[in-house]
Amino acid sequence: MKTSRFWKEALVATVLTGSLCVGGVALAAEQKSDTLNFVNYRDVRDLNPHLYAGEMYAQEMLYETLVDITADGYKPCLAESWDISPDGKVYTFHIRKGVTFTDGTPCDAYAIKANFDAILENRARHTWLEMMHLLEKVDAPDAHTFRIFMKAPYWPMLTELGVTRPFAMISPAAMKDGSTKDGVKAYIGTGPYKLTKVVTDEYAVFEANENYWGEQPKIKRIVVKVIPDNQTRILALEKGEIDLIWGKNMLDADALNKYRDNKDFGIAMSTPTSTRHIVLNGQNPVLADIAVRKALQHATNRVAIAKGVFHNTELPADTLYARSVPYCDIDLPPYEYDMEKAARILDEAGWKPGSDGVREKDGKRMELGLLYNSNSVTEKTIAEYLQHEYGKLGIRVSLRGEEEQSYRDNMKNGLFDMIFNICWGMPYDPQSSMAAMRQRVYGDYAAQLALPDKKEIDAAITEIMSSTDPARRQELFTFALTHLHEDAIYIPLTYETNKALFSSRLKGVGFTQTQYEVPFVKMSFEAAKP
Amino acid sequence: MTWLEHGMKNYIIMRLLATIPLLLGISFLCFVFINLIPSDPAEVALRIRQTPIITEELIAQTRAELGLDQPFLVRYFVWLWDCLHFDLGFSYTNPARTVLGEIGRCLPATLELAGLSLVYVIVLSLPIGFLSAVYKDTLFDRIMRGVVFATTAMPVYWVGLLLIWLISIKCDLLPTSGYGGFSSLILPAFTVALSYISTYIRLIRNNMLENMREDYVLYAQARGLKQRAILVRHILKNSLQSCVTAIGMSIPQLIAGTIVVENVFAWPGVGRLCIASIFNRDYPVIQAYVLLVGVLFVFFNLAFDILQYVADPRLRERKS
Repeated sequence: MKTSRFWKEALVATVLTGSLCVGGVALAAEQKSDTLNFVNYRDVRDLNPHLYAGEMYAQEMLYETLVDITADGYKPCLAESWDISPDGKVYTFHIRKGVTFTDGTPCDAYAIKANFDAILENRARHTWLEMMHLLEKVDAPDAHTFRIFMKAPYWPMLTELGVTRPFAMISPAAMKDGSTKDGVKAYIGTGPYKLTKVVTDEYAVFEANENYWGEQPKIKRIVVKVIPDNQTRILALEKGEIDLIWGKNMLDADALNKYRDNKDFGIAMSTPTSTRHIVLNGQNPVLADIAVRKALQHATNRVAIAKGVFHNTELPADTLYARSVPYCDIDLPPYEYDMEKAARILDEAGWKPGSDGVREKDGKRMELGLLYNSNSVTEKTIAEYLQHEYGKLGIRVSLRGEEEQSYRDNMKNGLFDMIFNICWGMPYDPQSSMAAMRQRVYGDYAAQLALPDKKEIDAAITEIMSSTDPARRQELFTFALTHLHEDAIYIPLTYETNKALFSSRLKGVGFTQTQYEVPFVKMSFEAAKP
Repeated sequence: MTWLEHGMKNYIIMRLLATIPLLLGISFLCFVFINLIPSDPAEVALRIRQTPIITEELIAQTRAELGLDQPFLVRYFVWLWDCLHFDLGFSYTNPARTVLGEIGRCLPATLELAGLSLVYVIVLSLPIGFLSAVYKDTLFDRIMRGVVFATTAMPVYWVGLLLIWLISIKCDLLPTSGYGGFSSLILPAFTVALSYISTYIRLIRNNMLENMREDYVLYAQARGLKQRAILVRHILKNSLQSCVTAIGMSIPQLIAGTIVVENVFAWPGVGRLCIASIFNRDYPVIQAYVLLVGVLFVFFNLAFDILQYVADPRLRERKS
């Protein structure tokens, strides 16, 4: 075939037209303003404050609760102050005067009563909060007094009233005939921001509430973009399309590490929010032997995991709850990493290596499954590392990754030998997550079921909930946590933290006691350089 | 001509009738397979709505709410009947939204993406495939073959991220992700199109090379026709025939194949809706998506078969 100039020209023309198209578009200048561009991996969804389907950071921006949970204890929020009756059964809240919802409706005791009525109408939905079983009635004798009557005293009451949901207040005008269980008409709260626009799966716009009763936020407008992919989020930050990535699973350790010494970006890390650990199923015939559980504890190199997998963005954990968690500052001797000791424990307990190196005793071979959530890259990495480490001891570990929902099914139903888990975190730890150990809802129940002291632990947890004396509560927590620690049923790995990566012109990036709250109110942009 | 029209009408009616059992089969299979997933959708719905403690009563209550307490076949027929009335039900994870509304919200973005990808495929693969055949074994052809080989082998998400890195960050030309105007469409559409472009370049090139060996080319040369006319009016035209059939199948593939790209580029289309629904066990949405894709395949297959039947006299003669 002979060549033809025509086709050469055609090709050149196509390439040129294409590049011109691309070039033209690129001229659209990028504009910087005082808008904070935030990012999340999914849409804000349903922000009804009395249900659980919405993004918590957004609910925290819009709505407020009676009290705030802070590092220094409970602080007034919509309630200016409160009294608790000597028998611990009546809570009287003095409601802050002059607070209005962003639609102009006053947020007085009557509005708060309307909120409680709507929440209690759907009581079954909230029974994960222990107080729901004990709450007798609520009333509002006048516009500034709101009372809660309990059947029995319950000490984590203020914590449960202070968590993001369900006790956040929405304007009664936004309810559907005084009800919120089947949805609300609009997302109207008293918080520092109001929601002005949502484009599903694309972005949401929040603007400062100019009538906010507290300190005015410095950043007046926040756009939350939805970017599901981890890598794309980081690329968008690098391009300047977003200013802040914030959260526990929004950033991997490698990415954080990469920006550590970069002047254009800042990094922040919170105190421990929760503990990453492995639950050992005490019902498994091999793991039923406490010597095996203790050997596994000693064979787990937490320092190496924190360093190798997390670049120390998560620190090694010695106990199920960090010492910074309320009531958990207990002296528990950690299971130090010591392979020889681990081997010795197994030898002494009669677990002898068989012909293929796998230990056995009374015909039982030391073969254990380790189940992880296949959506989690870090869990898989840790699992592979532990498989190798435990293998050196003569424990054969088979790994199984399951997609999140079936991983959870298996956990709940106790269908595991060893499984990765993360505790609920602040402010639910330790009281709510330990209360849940008594029911078959998470892996804890199945794992603990075969423990000889399970009944005593449960009894202690039950007593904790109604004890009004802090000293007694500490005693009981110490008892339950010491027993769980000595039973060696949990292998703590690392303390999970909230992490933030942000443009260095953003100042004041930090964290609060509530792990899902992004404290936008404290953030500001550096004054523009002339 | 009347016999022809008559035959065509019969052919079209037969083909249309044949789609009914096909669609029923698709709907049933998609219902069966989704119901084989071991997790209890009621429980998963509660988890997705982030209920910290899920009690048996709560599961039972939710199951009744979602209509999951009915036997399997009853649910299937209720669903089928509703589908025929264009009622695809409600999303389990967000009961405030209808499935039809969700698909309606997401489909336009996916169609834009698939549409531009198709343009890329046609505009790029046609001239490159043609030139590769004409200049067989030249430097151009060899480079193109290398490119085709490489792009077919690269996974889509990786290509996507590389393109973002190169075009958006290093060259600072286009936005990294998101939905907003033509500029944000260029990269994701190109990423989707890339593997198709490679396929079509190869297809066109090989078809043309085959056709060049046919007797009619020799005959045309003997008649003294110009080289360009032979290439375009005879060889290319004949080579494109199988490409047209392939394009007919590629269109629904493009629409269904945007899942990964939509996630990488934060593109709010049906692919992302589908992924989220699969992770959330949102049965009604998954079923609707599978059904939609099934219908698209059946429809495009049918449409392009009829189109070919109309366009190619040889097919009609063979049939009659």
